[in-house]
Amino acid sequence: MTVISVEGLKKNFKNLEVIKGIDFDLPEQKVVALLGANGAGKTTVLKTISGLIKPTSGTIHFNDENDKDVRHWIGYLPQFPVFYNWMTGKEFLLYVGRLSGLTKHDAKQRTEELLSLVGMTEAKNRRIGKYSGGMKQRLGIAQALIHQPKLLILDEPVSALDPLGRREVIDLLKKLKNEMTVLFSTHILSDAEEVSDEILFLHDGVIVESGAMNELTAKYKQPKITLVFERNIEEYIEEIKSQTVFQSVEINSNEAVLLTDDMEGAKKVILQEASRNNWPLTKFEMSSTKLEEMFIKVVQGK
Amino acid sequence: MSQWLILLQKELLENVRNFKWIWVPLVFIILAIQQPITMYYMPQILESVGGLPEGAVFDFPVPSAEEVLATSLTQYNSLGVLIIVLITMGVIAAERKSGVAAMILVKPVSYTSFVTSKWFSVLLLVWASYFIGYLGAWYYTGVLFEFVSFSIFMQSFLMYGVWLTFVLTFTVFLNTFLKSSGLIAFISLGSIIIMSLISSILSNALSWSPALLGGYVTEFIMFAQMPDGAVISMVVSIAVIGIMLLLSVLLFRKNELAE
Repeated sequence: MTVISVEGLKKNFKNLEVIKGIDFDLPEQKVVALLGANGAGKTTVLKTISGLIKPTSGTIHFNDENDKDVRHWIGYLPQFPVFYNWMTGKEFLLYVGRLSGLTKHDAKQRTEELLSLVGMTEAKNRRIGKYSGGMKQRLGIAQALIHQPKLLILDEPVSALDPLGRREVIDLLKKLKNEMTVLFSTHILSDAEEVSDEILFLHDGVIVESGAMNELTAKYKQPKITLVFERNIEEYIEEIKSQTVFQSVEINSNEAVLLTDDMEGAKKVILQEASRNNWPLTKFEMSSTKLEEMFIKVVQGK
Repeated sequence: MSQWLILLQKELLENVRNFKWIWVPLVFIILAIQQPITMYYMPQILESVGGLPEGAVFDFPVPSAEEVLATSLTQYNSLGVLIIVLITMGVIAAERKSGVAAMILVKPVSYTSFVTSKWFSVLLLVWASYFIGYLGAWYYTGVLFEFVSFSIFMQSFLMYGVWLTFVLTFTVFLNTFLKSSGLIAFISLGSIIIMSLISSILSNALSWSPALLGGYVTEFIMFAQMPDGAVISMVVSIAVIGIMLLLSVLLFRKNELAE
């Protein structure tokens, strides 16, 4: 069951094409990471889905029985949340709760629930103007949740936080998964890897890769051997470079990274050569490539 | 409706917390009542300041109560308008600039309510301040000179109130498509000055102009008679206020708020 389907979404700012036609569906009760480097167009995608900006072309379809204002079902946290600084945290939540159509009683109850969920109960009666950045971020998440949305959109929810705050937000996302779909943007792969079930990889306004986290990890997993030499690395690598078991060889000062599909064969070749020619080897490591290498490759333009 | 009231409540609370509900009425009171007071004490003031040649016989004509009341109202023509523009210039623009408008408008909030509640909150503040200020002027004029009939007071109050509403609605209207409060204040004041100038130069051809209401109201107080053109000018003003409000909502809806 999908929550929202996006088809052929394009967005131009003046003559600049920011989003160049993307399609994706978001499944129910999943955490989806929108991954991409700075300037890839992540914020534009999120703002378009939440209705803050209108797409140049394409459709965003929210799969819901009643055709009400989509804003009823979406909770949104901008990258830099701003509040009325003269209000207290509690007042702000009550205000947006009432605006979302909750009764006075429900808004009060929901406010208290959310304040304790994001760990802000103690600061609730202080003016928002006096809050720290992390507190504002947490209040921002609380306000996005006030009307129990089916889709929670978070723009860089952890990027501005210290390690502790980041931990808290990530744990919070894990908790929320049972109640709603979460779409969050980040430029940090490890954050995406940690909580998300699916990723959408946006680069230069186009989705270059997407899918379930575990599928992608498997897809980009390739056996890899790392060798470190004392000296004369070029000379020794030259001897084995032509072997067909190696798909690619990369030399970086006195370290060599060899990719292969046949780990056993590759290991044999290297160890034989090493003992026959008495290589000055200091390190031999077998591992596999990760998503991160794919991410870096794409961002650097291959 | 209930959402509109929640939005309005927030505006009112904000204006209480930033003390607008204290200083705006105060300024309106001071502006208006200083007129009867200084006019009453003018001979004494001149005497104490001195500078008159020795033996000069000073004969100051006592102004009529109507004259005094009318001049207190004209105080609002420049300073009153300036204050209205200053308190209205950022009513939407500032929230859009800071980004808080986006936080609110991703919630299921009606754009019409968002704009009209802000307009109404300024309207309330201005009319309340203007009423106490002008009532004070009427009272002091009565005590120090003579009481002008309350019906003249009320009619002139409503008549000139239309012009002040015109000014504030125009400023709100600019708010829906401009983002810089400074620019809004500049355009707003500039347009009002130009409008007033052109209207007074071509007062025959433009007798319906809202900018002439200030002149009409003076005439009305002095002669207790509706001057020609006053009614049509009020009708035009109210119609334009309605149109501006409608356009404000339409423009605001069309705008991309996040940008």
